Amino acid sequence: MENAVINNTLLASLTLAVSTLYVITTGLYAADFFKGPDLAKTWKQPALILTIVAHIAFIGFLTAPYGYRLGYSSYTIMSMVSLTLAVIYMFIEFTTKTDKTGFFVLSFASGAEILSTIFISLASNEGPAFNGLGIGIHLFSAIFSFSAIAIAGLYSFLYLLLFRQIKKNSYGVLFENLPNLEVLERLTQHAVAFGFFFLTLSIAGGAAGLLMSNESINIFDPKLIGLFIIWMLYGTSIFIRKFLGWDTQHQAYLLIILFVFITLLVMLMSIYSPTFHSVGTEGILAPGRI
Amino acid sequence: MNIVSVGVNHKTAPIEIRERISLSEVQAKEFLNELISSGIAQEAMVLSTCNRTELYVVPGMPEVTGHYLKEYLIAYQNAEKDVRPEHFFNRFYCNTARHLFEVSSAIDSLVLGEGQILGQVKNAYRIAVEVQSAGILITRLCHTAFSVAKKVKTNTRIMEGAVSVSYAAVELAQKIFSNLSMKKILLVGAGETGELAAKHMFQKNARNITITNRTISKAETLAEELGTNQVLPFETFREHLHDFDIIITAVSTKDYAIKAPEMHQAMQKRRLKPVIILDLGLPRNVDPEISRLQNMFLKDIDDLKHIIDKNLEMRRSELPKVNSIIDEELVGFGQWINTLKVRPTIVDLQSKFLEIKEKELERYRHKVSEEELRRMERLSDRILKKILHHPIKMLKAPVDTADNIPSKVNLVRNIFDLEEQNQLNK
Repeated sequence: MENAVINNTLLASLTLAVSTLYVITTGLYAADFFKGPDLAKTWKQPALILTIVAHIAFIGFLTAPYGYRLGYSSYTIMSMVSLTLAVIYMFIEFTTKTDKTGFFVLSFASGAEILSTIFISLASNEGPAFNGLGIGIHLFSAIFSFSAIAIAGLYSFLYLLLFRQIKKNSYGVLFENLPNLEVLERLTQHAVAFGFFFLTLSIAGGAAGLLMSNESINIFDPKLIGLFIIWMLYGTSIFIRKFLGWDTQHQAYLLIILFVFITLLVMLMSIYSPTFHSVGTEGILAPGRI
Repeated sequence: MNIVSVGVNHKTAPIEIRERISLSEVQAKEFLNELISSGIAQEAMVLSTCNRTELYVVPGMPEVTGHYLKEYLIAYQNAEKDVRPEHFFNRFYCNTARHLFEVSSAIDSLVLGEGQILGQVKNAYRIAVEVQSAGILITRLCHTAFSVAKKVKTNTRIMEGAVSVSYAAVELAQKIFSNLSMKKILLVGAGETGELAAKHMFQKNARNITITNRTISKAETLAEELGTNQVLPFETFREHLHDFDIIITAVSTKDYAIKAPEMHQAMQKRRLKPVIILDLGLPRNVDPEISRLQNMFLKDIDDLKHIIDKNLEMRRSELPKVNSIIDEELVGFGQWINTLKVRPTIVDLQSKFLEIKEKELERYRHKVSEEELRRMERLSDRILKKILHHPIKMLKAPVDTADNIPSKVNLVRNIFDLEEQNQLNK
């Protein structure tokens, strides 16, 4: 079996380099958060930018032979999740001038990238590439929605952490460095809204792609049922405050549970179904990829 | 040239002694004028605040020592009965500089890292400049102290974090709400504590402040001072609790001013939106049971002291950084002082060579044209500059100890046959 990454020295080196860069950047953000050397404060942002640039270059090299279309494999998707998390975090840091949550978001991005590197070495090929507008929208929306779900979960966790610290008069490093409760709440709400939007787009794109390919859709597919439940719960969490009178604390618990559930689901699907979807390939896959 | 500092501060003397020695701005000016006109000091500066009265003097006579200055100040204030020289500290030369650097960077203050002292040092320097008692040494000392304070403020966290209860209350509110200007604040009690907290909130852009007080005129006065006309009668403020995101209480009351049932009702009305109640009263004004309510942050003085303790600990942990900045600046200041000792030799050296040049040019003044003379003058200037460059550089070069300076100076004076100087040994 062919493994395009393992057999290509440049790609193999880039994969390792990108993972290493994620770990270094996360380390710098951690050092800054926990009042490490001034070096961390100076270098964390350039390191983040370098990591993102290197990651984009890696994705470019990986997909270049296939007309820059992403493979439909667990490792490319995990890698894209990691990249979108880093990009979304960089956007948050630049726009809100809040650079103290980087450690938490980038830890998750690093984890996803390391998993992706592990999956690369396990996979026999990089999976089929998407073809067609519908499936393209499905894939990219799925990646963005998962990143938004991850960010909502992470910020909800930070909200609860800070809430408890203030309640308990524990004014330590988290109290000192985290943004205030209102900012964390706002970031969470935005992430939920984006997540729901992309999740909806992903479902619509996937359905459109399948319809165009004349594939029959098995509505009892566990993945589809799982996705529908997630979509319902996520949608509910947007309106839960207004209609059920939930406060941010309870919403945060729900978002954390959803995040853990979705992460486990994605991981299980990645392990047991390395090409992610077991749907037919005709019409939606690039020629020559399988 | 020596510089001496003597004084009383919160570390050396109790408040009643500090009060006896304290000098107002007018008194400080008179005192400085007297020191200079009597020849006791070549230069002098007085730093007098509520926690310290310190004298920085470049002595004008050999008998002017630290002890002399202590006695002089005690006598000047007619405080012989209450104040003794033992109440004073005494520093010389670089230790004086270190002391002023420590004072300016607020690590010698009663409240570590407090922000007022630098302004007070600047004010002391301004007074010395106005009465013309600040010469080259005091000026350089003060400017270096200002630079130290700026570096300390920029590069360390010694001035960060609240260290008073009212500031801690604001800091805590800012950890819950992002923009205080968008929040509705209720101040229960227009006394000194409440006023201070409201003013700190105002400084952080809080504008929607409503005040309630038993004596409504006091509430109206404070409201006017803060530029808000929102006053609630004390008897009815509880009916409006649901309107407010931040409630500050600082009243003297036997019973709780806010009880759990009324706050419970208020929380229901505001659909559990978070509220912070800062209870600055002693005895407490707010029923502690309220803290059990959902999304309610109730903090009393003891809770806020946790923040103060944390901030003070953080400030203390910055002390090594501050001391390292002071050490660095002290080395530079010491080297500059040493250059003062070689300055007369440099001046003598330059004068001697200029004299030689003038004499030699004079011999040709009537033998050559004006144009040729000017060229010769320019040429000789260039030659002199090159000849003198190395000896001057050698004299100005930093030395490890001041003991090395006389040998360097003597060497140059012997080589270039300069007249004996007396200043060096002074």
